[in-house]
Amino acid sequence: MGDFQPQLTKRFGMKDSHKLKTYLESGGYESLKKLFAMTPEQVTEEVKASGLKGRGGAGFSAGMKWGFVPKGGAKPVYLVVNADEGEPGTFTDRFMMLHDPHLLVEGIICASYAIGCHTAYIYVRGEFLEQIKRLEAAIAEAKEAGYLGKAIQGSNFDLEIWVHRGAGAYICGEETGLIESLEGKKGQPRIKPPFPAIVGAFGCPTIVNNVKTLASVPWILANGAKAYAALGTPESQGTHVFGISGHVNQTGMWELPFGMPMMDFIRDYGKGVKGGALKAVIPGGSSCPVLTAKECEDLTLTYESMKSHGTMFGTGCVTVMNEHTDMAKVLKNLTHFYRDESCGQCTPCREGSAWEDRLLKKVLSGEGSEKELELMLETCDNMEGKTICVFSSALAFPVRSFIKKFRPDFEKYFVKGAVSVPGAVS
Amino acid sequence: MAKITLNGQPMEVPDGANVLEAALSNGVPLEHFCYQRYLPVAGNCRTCMVEMDTPRGPVLAIGCNTKVADGMVIRTDAPNAKKAQKTALEMLLLDHPLDCPVCDKAGECKLQDQYMQYGLYDFRRGVPRDFKGGKAEDIGEHIVLDTERCVLCTRCIRFVDEVPKTSELAIVNRGHDSKITIFPGMRLDNPYSGNTTDICPVGALTLKEFRFQQRVWFLKKTESVCPGCARGCDITVEHNKGRIWRFMPRENPELNKTWMCDEGRFSFIDQQENRQEAIRLGHGTDDLKGALKKLADILGGLQKDEVAGIASPYAALEDNFLLKKLFEKRFDVKNLAAPTWAKKGEADQVLRLAEKYPNEQGVKLLGIGEGDASFWEKLEKGVFKAVIVMHQDPFGQDPVRAKEYFSKVKALVVLTVHQTQTSREAAMVFPVRAFYEKDGTFVNATSRLQRFRLALEPEDPNVVEASLWISRLAKALGVEGMDFPDTPSVFNAMAKEVGPLSGLTFNSLSSMGKVLDLKPIAPEPFVGVKAQPNVLGKALGVTNG
Repeated sequence: MGDFQPQLTKRFGMKDSHKLKTYLESGGYESLKKLFAMTPEQVTEEVKASGLKGRGGAGFSAGMKWGFVPKGGAKPVYLVVNADEGEPGTFTDRFMMLHDPHLLVEGIICASYAIGCHTAYIYVRGEFLEQIKRLEAAIAEAKEAGYLGKAIQGSNFDLEIWVHRGAGAYICGEETGLIESLEGKKGQPRIKPPFPAIVGAFGCPTIVNNVKTLASVPWILANGAKAYAALGTPESQGTHVFGISGHVNQTGMWELPFGMPMMDFIRDYGKGVKGGALKAVIPGGSSCPVLTAKECEDLTLTYESMKSHGTMFGTGCVTVMNEHTDMAKVLKNLTHFYRDESCGQCTPCREGSAWEDRLLKKVLSGEGSEKELELMLETCDNMEGKTICVFSSALAFPVRSFIKKFRPDFEKYFVKGAVSVPGAVS
Repeated sequence: MAKITLNGQPMEVPDGANVLEAALSNGVPLEHFCYQRYLPVAGNCRTCMVEMDTPRGPVLAIGCNTKVADGMVIRTDAPNAKKAQKTALEMLLLDHPLDCPVCDKAGECKLQDQYMQYGLYDFRRGVPRDFKGGKAEDIGEHIVLDTERCVLCTRCIRFVDEVPKTSELAIVNRGHDSKITIFPGMRLDNPYSGNTTDICPVGALTLKEFRFQQRVWFLKKTESVCPGCARGCDITVEHNKGRIWRFMPRENPELNKTWMCDEGRFSFIDQQENRQEAIRLGHGTDDLKGALKKLADILGGLQKDEVAGIASPYAALEDNFLLKKLFEKRFDVKNLAAPTWAKKGEADQVLRLAEKYPNEQGVKLLGIGEGDASFWEKLEKGVFKAVIVMHQDPFGQDPVRAKEYFSKVKALVVLTVHQTQTSREAAMVFPVRAFYEKDGTFVNATSRLQRFRLALEPEDPNVVEASLWISRLAKALGVEGMDFPDTPSVFNAMAKEVGPLSGLTFNSLSSMGKVLDLKPIAPEPFVGVKAQPNVLGKALGVTNG
């Protein structure tokens, strides 16, 4: 991949990497000098020019999103960090916050300055107890040192950051569900329009950004949009923290520029598939359509390659499955998850997610037939895009791709009494 | 106005209207559950799906949350939209108990009606039904909750949050385990609780007073006005086999929207009880003709100023008008008063007013005062030998004063619907028709003239409207020009004499009524209640849907 400086993970492995002292010694908060020399519009333009995309999964241009905040409005503007990392198969944000919380704080300062926000919230997944402690400690340190609070570093910019603990709902990773939860309500996505950039938290303009999106900003400001865009590919700029789990010899996460071929990533970083040949890959969290081994052959870790292969980049955390995996059981695991996590607001999702799960259960119990599979596929069509948020699509994508690409794994259950393949996920 | 194309038809729709209302108001059917035009949009049922042209090509959108805009091209009947409508309905029915034969909502159930109209007709659940559980839970003085029938549209939640602002209800759990429930320690006992059962699209919320009483398809419905207070909410009197089974709010975008208070709603019970059934004259009962003759003989033997009359804010405009006319023509109109003895009742900023009578403004419109000092003095001293009391109960409402006023009156003549303290004290009692047994008009606190219609005909031909009773008494007394065959003709005669009514006729009055040029005596309803702007300005008939 050629040489590159890690931006997001450079302090991983340093002693006391989460402390301000280490952070400052390794170039932390350097971007603020440049930041306060620029106008907020210039910051937004710079980030836009860098090509930085939202790392939460949708991959929308971060700079463009910031640009949606109305200029000169009377209401306060809020920045909310989506640190509710809950996508099954995804595990990188939690390490970012654990090992380098100050990088997130610095990113928040940059983004807040760009959008004119003076109160930012970090909505962090409730289970991340250690991360919450470190974030709170980092905020306290930063405030003490004058990186937060009134007139940051001699500028006329004020900012406070609050850590808000989630209560364990997948749907609170959806930005409007997150906002509802932040306001103390039940986490249910809001009907759009209006969009959060116009009416968000507490009725005010709000930008919701993922942890890695914000953590990328200081480097962009320090080194320039051009340098950032030079990394990766023309359509997937910069670096990303890629993760790998499942049937590989080495699980973990590595920061790489976009563009590495999937098979190289599995071979070089995952140290190869464990327990047999490659069967399937979920490229970026459970909501992404699954890929067959063949489809992975010419796949690269970029937004555009994932799209052209009919799937999504998602969170960039790859789940690998070997040839002994029973895809029907894997899907049952997922439908069970989605059945539990649907917020229950919209009819097609509330009823459809449970229906898919019940139909698959029937198939797995040996009582199903072609009819159940067809009904499952049709229900995907009847859910996808028919609801307030994209949760129903996030269920429809795996169900459809699993059944279409691995149909024999389901068909073998049609005969009563079939046993599962050894080594299967249960 | 926005120019849109709906199912290929160009049409103009008021700006700010949503696509669902644009369709419904133009006679284009479109399925919907969670949308209620007087509640905030929730957009959760996903049944009002339409296909809309955009620069990115046709997309599906929900009609309720899509505002019309110039040049919009919408298809409710596109195959895509149709399929989304049908399958959302299929999912709503998936785990529904289908206990329609014992469900009170059957016949006016949106799930039932819409399945018949838009359904898939191809049952394919393929797995055992998964009931949500919860049967006949007592959650309030009037309300029963059957969770298993619920379609989670959140109309009831939005109602208690937005209108009475009491917020007793919520959804607990997630996904398929979601269910409506009441907060621990709370009861659904707010003064408007009954409305939750009207807007419930299925039989999840039902009224104890209506459960297992009637099948709704047997009910006959008559336009009416609630006589419970000076607000005069529009209602429908629903009756069968000579009985009223319920009052339902009737949509009036300018007045009560689709709501009414529980006090008014359940007044149908008291209205039908304790009725004055027979004419009582001295020692016996009589038929109306004979009784009126006896009364005319008594009144005819008195001096003009020995007869007084008590008109009433409880009585219709026509009744008060003719009583006044009788006094003008035969007695002395100075001796006619319309006092209010009633104590003030409960009021709030939603609908309820403290004045618990429907026609105070009507009495004012006719220029009948509350009686000056000399009137009451003459009454107390026994100057009046006969007093006609119409639709009033002084002995019930203020017994001490009533005794002082009426003890010296020889002939206390009472026209009454119900047996009251006053009717027990009276020498002569004439039963008259209740508001649901006649046509008539009231003028409410915000000066809206409204019409109510005859719903039930009393069996006894001796029981007539107060106005026609006065008309017949006038005839027996030999007064000319007061012979009216029915209420509409009384109204039409009145409209010619009373300025603010000029140009109106009974039959041309709109079902929403007409605001008269008359100073209101109460503020407009729904202070501080969030509601969508009513851009269409006309009733859509979506009380239940």
